[in-house]
Order: sequence, then structure tokens, then C-alpha cells
Amino acid sequence: MLKEYRIVLRNSGLIDPENIDEFIAADGYRALQKALKSEPIGIYEEIIDSGLRGRGGAGFPTGTKEKAAAVICSDCTRYVICNADEGEPGTFKDRVIMETDPHTLIEGIAIAAYSIGAHKGFIYIRGEYGLATRRVQLAIEQAYDRGFLGKNILGSGFDFDLEIRRGAGSYLCGEELTLIESVEGKRGHPRIKPPYPAERGLWGAPTLINNVETLANFPAIILNGAKWYRSIGTEKSPGTKIFTISGDVNKPGFYEFPMGVTLKELIYDVANGVKDGKPFGAALIGGAAGTFASEQHMDVPMDYDKLREVGLTLGSGAVIVMDDTRDLNQVMLSILRFFKHESCGKCIPCRVGTTQLYNLLNENLTQGNFDPAKVYPELIRQAGMIAKTSLCPLGQSPILPLKSLWEHILVSQIANQ
Amino acid sequence: MGAYFGFANSKSVIMAKVKIRIDGKEVLANEGANLLHEARLNGFDIPGLCYHRKLTPTGACRLCLVKVEGQRGLVASCTLTVKEGMNIVAFDQELEDTRRFLLDYLISEQNTSYDDTYTDELRELILRYNLDKAENRFFKPIKHEVELKIDDSSPVLTYDPSKCIKCFRCIKACDEVQGKNVLSFTQRGLNSYIVAGTGTWGESECDGCGECIQLCPTGAIVEKPHRDTISISKVEQRVRTTCPYCGVGCQIELLVQNGRIVRSNGVEGVLPNDGRLCVKGRFGYDFVHSPDRLTKPLIRKNGELVEASWDEALTLIASKFNELKQKYGPDSLAGYASAKCTNEDNYLFQKFIRIAFGTNNLDYCTRLCHASTVTAMLKSIGDGAGSNSIEDFETTDCLIVIGNNIIETHPITATYIKRGAAKGMKIIVIDPRRTPLVSYSTLWLQPRLGTDVALLNGMIREIIVNGWFDQNFIENRVEGGMQAFSDLKDLVEKYTPEVTESITGVPAEAVKEAAKIYATAKTAMVATGMGMSQQVTGTHNVFSLLNMILITGKIGKERCGIDPPRGQNNVQGATDVGCHPTMYPGYIPISNVENRQKVAHVWGVPFESLSDRPGLTTVEIIQAALQGKIKGLYIIGENPMISDPDLNHTENALEKLEFLVVQDIFLTETARFAHVVLPASSWAEKNGTLVNSDRRVLRVRKAIESPGEARQDWEIIHELAARMGKPMPKYRDEAEIFDELARITPIMAGISHARLEHQGIQWPCPTPDHPGTPTLYLDKFNTPTEKAKLFPVEYTEQSEQATSEYPFILNSGRILYHYHTGTMSRKNKVLTDFVNKPYVVMHPNDAFKLGVKHGERVKLTSLRGSIETQVRIADEVLEGELFMPWHFTEAQVNRLTRDELDPYSRIAPFKISAVRVEAVGD
Ligand SMILES: Cc1cc2nc3c(=O)[nH]c(=O)nc-3n(C[C@H](O)[C@H](O)[C@H](O)COP(=O)(O)O)c2cc1C
Ligand code: SF4
Ligand code: SF4
Ligand code: SF4
Ligand code: FES
Repeated sequence: MLKEYRIVLRNSGLIDPENIDEFIAADGYRALQKALKSEPIGIYEEIIDSGLRGRGGAGFPTGTKEKAAAVICSDCTRYVICNADEGEPGTFKDRVIMETDPHTLIEGIAIAAYSIGAHKGFIYIRGEYGLATRRVQLAIEQAYDRGFLGKNILGSGFDFDLEIRRGAGSYLCGEELTLIESVEGKRGHPRIKPPYPAERGLWGAPTLINNVETLANFPAIILNGAKWYRSIGTEKSPGTKIFTISGDVNKPGFYEFPMGVTLKELIYDVANGVKDGKPFGAALIGGAAGTFASEQHMDVPMDYDKLREVGLTLGSGAVIVMDDTRDLNQVMLSILRFFKHESCGKCIPCRVGTTQLYNLLNENLTQGNFDPAKVYPELIRQAGMIAKTSLCPLGQSPILPLKSLWEHILVSQIANQ
Repeated sequence: MGAYFGFANSKSVIMAKVKIRIDGKEVLANEGANLLHEARLNGFDIPGLCYHRKLTPTGACRLCLVKVEGQRGLVASCTLTVKEGMNIVAFDQELEDTRRFLLDYLISEQNTSYDDTYTDELRELILRYNLDKAENRFFKPIKHEVELKIDDSSPVLTYDPSKCIKCFRCIKACDEVQGKNVLSFTQRGLNSYIVAGTGTWGESECDGCGECIQLCPTGAIVEKPHRDTISISKVEQRVRTTCPYCGVGCQIELLVQNGRIVRSNGVEGVLPNDGRLCVKGRFGYDFVHSPDRLTKPLIRKNGELVEASWDEALTLIASKFNELKQKYGPDSLAGYASAKCTNEDNYLFQKFIRIAFGTNNLDYCTRLCHASTVTAMLKSIGDGAGSNSIEDFETTDCLIVIGNNIIETHPITATYIKRGAAKGMKIIVIDPRRTPLVSYSTLWLQPRLGTDVALLNGMIREIIVNGWFDQNFIENRVEGGMQAFSDLKDLVEKYTPEVTESITGVPAEAVKEAAKIYATAKTAMVATGMGMSQQVTGTHNVFSLLNMILITGKIGKERCGIDPPRGQNNVQGATDVGCHPTMYPGYIPISNVENRQKVAHVWGVPFESLSDRPGLTTVEIIQAALQGKIKGLYIIGENPMISDPDLNHTENALEKLEFLVVQDIFLTETARFAHVVLPASSWAEKNGTLVNSDRRVLRVRKAIESPGEARQDWEIIHELAARMGKPMPKYRDEAEIFDELARITPIMAGISHARLEHQGIQWPCPTPDHPGTPTLYLDKFNTPTEKAKLFPVEYTEQSEQATSEYPFILNSGRILYHYHTGTMSRKNKVLTDFVNKPYVVMHPNDAFKLGVKHGERVKLTSLRGSIETQVRIADEVLEGELFMPWHFTEAQVNRLTRDELDPYSRIAPFKISAVRVEAVGD
């Protein structure tokens, strides 16, 4: 069987997440010590060199964001925020990190804060994540006790405070600017972009906002160096990725692999194949804001760019597998229901469009005589307009599953009929 | 994004013009300004529903999408700022198709019915994109999952969520423009709608300003009053004029239909208010159509006021006044001018009193508000008016608001303050009462009533001890320089923070903190109110304030100074144009022979006929009447029977007069004592000008006809002068009166009606090409030496103190919904819907001790008299202190106040009366 390569999850299951000593014994907080001895600029340069890209879905180069937040002004207040809202359906990697090794995350956040000069940070945790919240909270307290957080960390003169904020069940609040509004205590409506968070984020201050998995990579990169990190994964997407595999497979779960692993390997080698020996139908990669892959994509190396080349997205790394008896139109309908429900309503195209899309598909499905060739082009036309005109990336999402389902699967189904 | 750009006269944002390209055409636009706004200014009518010039961009409707060279995809133009060299496509097939698509989407969830009672921006777009007919619409209507309930609970507006396009304009209007933050969305997505507070409008903190109505682009929030009669397409006239209430001088637009005012909107884009109004300005106009308006002259016959002809009334008045003048001399006559009449009316009135009566016994209610402030300011810095411009209240770094419930009494000035606070301006509130501004403030000092001098001296000492004074300023701009400063220093030496605390009750630490914030701010202003001025020590209070301002050099610079926001809409103007016992128009002393010669020349009267004897002031006139020295009194648009201190006393005085003429629009409490009552015109029936609190001369324009036989004030005065044998020249119109007034009023010499067409001009404006003066004293003070003067003053105990018999100190003042003596405000449904009953505010501990409950009736008794009212229990007042609004004739606070006067300014101590409280049961 294909072997996992664990960087982020290296301690997961091996140490007691509630015992800081076990973490320290496993080289914990050594990266932070090392970082505090070097110049901040050296840290973000290292992250830039490592090629680490954001694991929240968009795959933006992390070091570049850090640098932007670090150099935008001298002597101003800055914040760092860890995005632990994890709302994408089928995704539970951040939960695993927080539940099984919260200190790795805290160490990563502290390093990031030091590199940009932030003295205050927030972890915005999805409201439903009770255990994760408790464990992170406990870990924060322990870290304060041991001097890894708070005033004058490890005698370096660097101060950093970290606090948890809890989400309230809105998918959109995972979107960075909406999340920032929410941390400020406002309703979950997105802000106009630009300015980006690195320019004007929390309370108008430059803010670095990264996903849990992204930040959990920091300690290993700082300890082992950018060169080491680049030796893992693919050229344009170095490092590993946690894939959360669910749906019709024999062994669903979370698995950390170097970037470039294929769908076939994940489904057949790692998750022990499609349940009940049924033929593979489709895989939804990246959650609701993701794309449908078909049989033809089995051998595409999974990294940000390779997938994009074939019209797929890696997204959060969720892989939802469907056997060939699943009614993909119903799957699509529930995705549209999800968007309709999660649209914040601020902008016209997404507020009205997500409902129009849902109604259109729903009416056609319930009427009988469903003809995808008549419905999908119109759905795609509207979803395209929505994507083109909406205010925030949520409205740009429905087009992804719609178009990929149509082009990758339904078109050939029709042709084969 | 300057919220202000667009003001012709504003000094706030001056932007450079740069070249940009729109649809291939080169245009000039303001750099850094909003792209959508600039495009529209240049004639590119890009659609858009969520953007409004006054609000931060929202980017919600997406209709304003354009293409920008160098940027991917479509970009909302309302979220972009103009940069040199930008190249934009505003209209092409793709963009127009996209906009039509979006609009079609929008109306699929919308109730698009229209009833012609409001201006509907959405409807205009629907027509423009041919989507009014159902067959042109592509998308099926959407059914909402939640029931969309109409909220009709507010006295001023109705919210219909089925017409709400969720553009955020109302939310931002309430929050960003008015600083109230009452509104928000509830629910999510398609099901979201607006809520006020946590439930309905009626229960929320909404105070009815109507900003949200004005900025709502659809019929989702509509005005309630006159909903059943107004028809936008049938509106005959839209008249721009100035609000009849407070001294902010908001510019309003009156909509007239069938000869009646049916709506009042704020005028966008001009100062002082930039479209903002308070509940009075927007909903307080109904009084002009009240059936109680006077329509015929009334003459007292056999003790009764009976209708008479104008001829009979005027003949009687002329002969009676002439008779009294002959019998008792000119100084037996007196006049009360009006802070509600125009400059033109008041100018002619003072001219009338001076040439027809031949006396300087001429005053008005200003004596009751800010006379002490004006006295102190004239002595110390040379002008009695506010030194700054209203926008400075937003941009200064620090603001002290002392004795001034500014959110309620000057609501629109307060909007600037709240906006400043949101951007980090430091606000120090000094008030014995927890005024609404306290929740926006950095620091609140709560001194005991009447201890202001001690507090200010304590702050001054702290400033000196810490070296926060401005030596350079003192040496160059203060008379006596460091020597004068050292006299002040010696005097305040004993006001240590601890001593100050023991006198005022303000913790020593807070005294230090306040001194530090104020003195170390880069720029700082002070807004002082009647809490300071209406005391026996009123002038001293303001002197000590000015001392603090002067030693820190916080005046004579942009965004620094002292501002006493004025109570009524023309309280400033009436003094400016000479309704003053010792000054001619433009603050020219009557005592000076040369001045009298000049005035006599312009008026065409013999120099000797102008009296050089200083006249009596408001309360002195009443006292003199009581003593039988004043025999005849002519009152225009004033109601001393509510506004004067010690009303029992006033009543006796009015009864003693041999002849009293009251010219008003209503039969006021005062008019009931008159021998002749003359029906005058309301502000909506007049042309003219007035002067607001920031010295801005503003136009008043006629919107409707006067009822019955009511006449213009100035015409009545003019006619009376003729009948008394002292005719004035013929004036073609009010503009011509203004021209004469400009000739003898140097501060307005450069102003004419024509120059005020678009927006007001701030005096001094000496020449026709002078732009007006936003900030006073930048180069010199207006004193004879051109320097300011320090007046060190000691704290003295209040002459009236609480005693065991009268254990409470009663404070009085105004509230948002009413105004002055209530003659106007209480004749408006909306305003009385909000509040229509007098009350007294008492601290919960006192209520507990007395055993009175909220809402219970109590009797308040002072040495002067007693009244009954309801108790409101709230901890906004200190223990042992009470507060009561004075607008209500059924519980006249001034039955309790005293007419002991400030020796310098002759103002009365409305703020401090010792009273006792007894429960009287329900
Ligand atoms: C609708 C929506 C939901 C999102 N939810 C999440 C989320 O739950 N967690 C997350 O890390 N990023 C989420 N994102 C992405 C964030 O906006 C942002 O890109 C991310 O936090 C950046 O971190 P990274 O660079 O480390 O990936 C979401 C984006 C959108 C548009
Ligand atoms: S795209 Fe959707 S989620 Fe984003 S602002 Fe518009 S309505 Fe809200
Ligand atoms: S009327 Fe004024 S206070 Fe009330 S909700 Fe509207 S904007 Fe806010
Ligand atoms: S009520 Fe009016 S202003 Fe407010 S969101 Fe709805 S349409 Fe916009
Ligand atoms: S006007 Fe620009 S998005 Fe609405």
C-alpha cells in the first residue's frame, strides 16, 4: 500500500494532545525557538523559498502574503488570524490537526506572527467543533504557562497573545474578509476586495490570514529548511496535503500525502476502493465549491496546477466518492441547495441567482422527462453570469460543480445513450 | 472617499483634477474620488442602486460594473477610486446585457408595485431597461420562504420588506451618516430583511430622523405622514429653504401640493447639513397649516380679544404707542424681536424701535440663552459667534462639549461629532447629566450643578503644572502675554485636583485626564451650551473656559476654537442685524457718535433722533414693566410667558402694561395678555435670510400663501412706522431690505440674496468677491488691540443652594422632539407621537427615598411657585438633582426659576433652582 508522508500530522495519534510535555519531547516549540533567534525577514523568506501554498483552497503562495503584511508599513499594529472555520462539505482536515496536535498549530501561528510583527492573533474555529475548541484552548493555556505565548516569549522580547473566536455556522464566514468582519463582531457579510487583508484587514490593520493546515506546516519548514520542503511534492506545489476521503469508499478518512498523488491511488490504494465493489461513478474534489472528476481523471497528479489544467480544483482536499448508482443530478441539486442556503444575500447575482439555479434544476427534476441537455446549458449560463458579477468568491463557486459535472460526466453520458 | 465632495464652498477636500478615459472620451475627474460618482458627473449615467455619495461603497447591487483597462473581469465602479490615466468602458453590449440580466434577476424577487408617493430609483431603471412589462422579463418570480411582514410601528415611516432590494443604504444612512446604528439585517440571503434594533421600529432607538427614508432607493422605507394625500407627480413646487427650528440651519426642500406642504427633504450636497435632518426638520412643518393659526387681527374690547380689521388694529396701535411716547417718553416703550423671524424682519424691527419708538429698549430671547457666552466672548476675543464651521466638528482631534446636550438640541451638528468619533476623535463631555453624547465620548466629567468655574480652573492648573500651555501663542496673541498668564497662574494655584474634586465631585484623576487630552491634542474645539450660560455666574463660566482655550492656543487656528451652538434658527441673525439694546447691526456700539451718524445717514433720519441711551434687556424690560417704567411693549414672534424666568412675575408685569402688542402666528400664552394681536406669517410663507450657528447666512424662501388675512412681519412693521409718522423708504422686496442692511453691517457687506442662491456664506464677508470666513481669528482677534484677553475668575458658590426645605436642585432644558415654548413643535403629529407630556427626571435612589414610582405625579415647589408633572426615573441625573424639559405649557418650569441675573450679561439662572418634591398620587 502507498505510504503516507506525514509532516502536518507527524504527531497525530502518537502524542497526547492534552499534554504539552509530550509535544515538547517530540521537538515541539523548537522551531519557534529557532525562529525567534533569527530576523523576521529571514522567516518569511524561508516560507517564500519553501513554495508553501495556502491549504484553505485557493493555493496562494503563503510567504508572499506574509511579506506583504510585513512590509506594508513600519511600526503599525498587525494581526494574524488562523482560519479554522472549515465549512467546506467533506472537509475535516483542520479538525484533525486541532484535535490531535493543537500545539503544532499554535507554534505555527506564533512563528507567523513573529515573521510579520503581529502581537495579537485569533483562531477562528467553526462553531460545531467542540472538542477541537477545547483542545486548542487548553493548548493555548499550556503554551502561556510555558512562555511560548504572552509577554517576552522565551526571553526574546517578542510579545504575542492568542485568542479563540468561534464561528456561528455560516459557510461564508470562512471567506477571509467575511471572517474578519465576524471577528470584529459584525454580521457575516463580505467586504469589498481590494483592499486585501494584508493591506487592511482586522480593524483596518494589516492582517495575515491563513488556513490551519497552512500554518501547521510552518514548524517543519523552519526546522528542516525550505530546501527540504521543496524536495517533497511537486515542483509548483511542494509539500504534502491532507486529503479527506468520504462517500462510497471502503476506508474513508484523512490521509496526508505528498502533492502529486493521483485520484486512483487515493481511492484504490488508500481508501481500499469503491464500496461494495461497485464501479466508480464520480468524485467531487474540493467540496461544494469544488469540481466533479470522472474516470478519465484517475491518473492526473493532484496538485493545484495539474488539476486546473484539466478543469478541476484541488480546493480543500476533500474527495467525495460516488459509485455509479448515484443520481448526480440529485447531488447537484443538494449542492445548489447548499449555496442557496449559504448565500449571504449581499449582492444581487448570488442572492437571487443561487435560488434561481436551484429552482430551475428542481422544477425540471420534479417535472419528469428530465433533459440535461436543455437544463445544464442554461444553468451554466446563469452560473457564469453570477460568477462574473458577484461580490465575493461564494458567488463564483456554483459554476465549478455545474460546469464540471456537465462537461466531464453528463455530456459523455448523453453521447453514450 | 470624501463624504463631502461636491460642496462648492467646502474646505474639507480639495482634489486634483486628472485625466481619465471613459468610453474613449477624455474627461477630467477628481483624483481619489469615487469613480462612479465622477463618471456620472461627467454625464455617463452608469446605473447603480446601492451606491450613495454620502456612504462608503457597498458593492451590493453590481449594476455599476464596468471594464477597467489592466484589470481582469468586470469591476464595480462604485468600489474604485479615480486614478490618473484610467481607461474605462462604461457602456458596451456585454455590460448592458449584464446589467439587464442583474435587474431582471432582482425584480424576480421584488414587489415592483408603485403608488406615486416616493421617488423610486429602481423603477426608473426598470423603465430604462424595458423590464416593466412582464413579457420582457426572463426569470420566474421567486417565492420567499419567510413571511415578509410590513413594519408599520414607527410614527414616521413604514418598512415593506417585499420592496427591499437589500442595498444597505438605510443601514449606512443610520450608522455612517447619522451615527445612530439602529438598523441591521436579520436572516440570511434571500430571506434577509431590515430590522430596527432587535425587533420593530416603534420599539427601537430610532429617533425618527428619516435619513433612511431619504436614502432608500425604492419604496421599501417610505414616509408615513401625508402618505394618503401625496402624489409625487402632482407636486407643484419644490422650494429650497431653511429649517424653522434650531440654529443648525439645515437646508430643506419643501414639496407643495394643493398649496400645502406635504413633505420636507434634506437638500443634498450643500452645507450645513448635506441632506441630513432631524425629526423636527423633516416632520415638523404641519404647524403652518394648523387651524389654530391667527388669520385676523384681534383687539381687546371689554376684556375680550375680538376680531378686527387691519386698519382698525394698526390705527389703534400707532395712536396708542405715540400717545405713550408723548406721555412717558420714548424709553417707556420697548420691543421684543424674534429669533424665529428673518434678518429682514428683525432688521426692520430694530430700525422701527429706534426711529418710531426712539429707544434702544430692544432685546429678545437670546438674552435667555447665550447672552453670557456672548458677553464673555466679546470681551475676551471680540466676537460673540462660533469660531468654526460645522464640518470642523468632524475633523478636529478633540472636542469638549460642556453644558450642552448637543445630540438633542443640535442633532445635525452632533452627526458630525459622531462621525468624528467613529474616526477616532476624542470627545470629552462635561455635564451634570448623562447626555446621549456620553456613549460616544472618551471621557465624561459629571460636575455638580454650578461648579463649572472650579472645574475649569482645576483643568487650567493641571495644564500649567504640566507645561501643556502654548507660550508662543500667549506671547503673541494674548494681551499682556506671559504677565497676564502669570496672573491666571496665581489665581488657579489653589485649584489642585483634590480641591477641584471636593468642590465639583469630579475625581481628581478625571480632571487631570481631561486637561491632558484637551491640551495635548493637535487641534481642539469646545462646544459650550446653556448649561454654562444660564447661570448667575454664566459670564464667569465662559471666561474660565476661554482662559483654558487661550493658554493652550486652541483658537485662531483651523479646527480650533469655541462654538456656542445657537438655540433657534435665527437667534444669531437677530443680534447680527441689530436687535440689541446697545448695538446697531453688525455689533456697532450705539454709544459711538460716528456710528450713530453713519446709521442715521443710511436710514435718512436726523442724527439727534437716534437715542444714545443703552436700552434695557429682556428680563429688565419685564422688571421695568413691573415697576411701571415700561408702559408699552411690542412683541414679535416671542413667547416670554413660557420662556422667561419666574413666570408669575412675568405675568404680573404683562398685566401691568398699558399697551401690549403681540404679533405672532398663534395665540400664544403671551398673546393672551395683549391689547392687540396681529396675525403674522410663518417661515414657510416668507422670503428672506437668517444666520445659523456657524455664522452662515442662509436663504428662507416662500413655499405657501399665508392663511386668511395674515401678513408678512416686515410689511406690518413698515406700515406701522408710516402710521406712527416715521415712514421708512419703500422696499420692493426682501432682497432690497437686505441690501440696506448690508450697507450698515460690515460683516455682511459683501452678501446679497443673489449670492446666496446656491448655498450660504459665512460672515464676515466684507466684499462681494469675498468667499466668507469659515474660521474666525486666524490672524487676529476682533478686540481693539487685536489680541485676546484673559479674565481670571474665582469660583463662587451658587446663590441658590439646596436646603432642607428645598432639597433638590432642578435643571431645565430641551429635548429632541420639541422646541422652545412648543408653539410650533407641539402642533405636529409626528413630534407629539414621540413625546407629548411633561416630565421630571429623578435619580432612582431619590425616587426610592421619596417613595415615588415611575410615571407617578409629583408636585415641584420652589420659592417662586409650584407645578405638577410626572416622574421619570433614570440615572442620567445625579442624586439630589432633577431635570425637566421646559417645552410644556401644562407644566411650566419657569414658574419655579428665578430672575436673579448674571451681573454682566443679565442672563437668568434657568439651570439652577432649589425645589422640593411631593407625591400627589395619580
Ligand atoms: C465561501 C468561502 C468559504 C471559505 N471557507 C474557508 C474555510 O472554511 N477555511 C479556510 O481556511 N479557508 C476558507 N476559505 C478561503 C479563505 O477565504 C482564504 O482564502 C484562506 O483562509 C486563506 O488561507 P490560506 O492561504 O492559508 O489558504 C473560504 C473561501 C470562500 C470563498
Ligand atoms: S456572492 Fe453571495 S455570498 Fe458573496 S456577497 Fe454576494 S450574496 Fe453574499
Ligand atoms: S429614521 Fe433615522 S434613526 Fe430611525 S432608523 Fe432611520 S436613519 Fe435611523
Ligand atoms: S430598506 Fe431601502 S435602503 Fe434599506 S436595504 Fe432595503 S431597499 Fe435598501
Ligand atoms: S452601485 Fe456599485 S455595486 Fe451597487
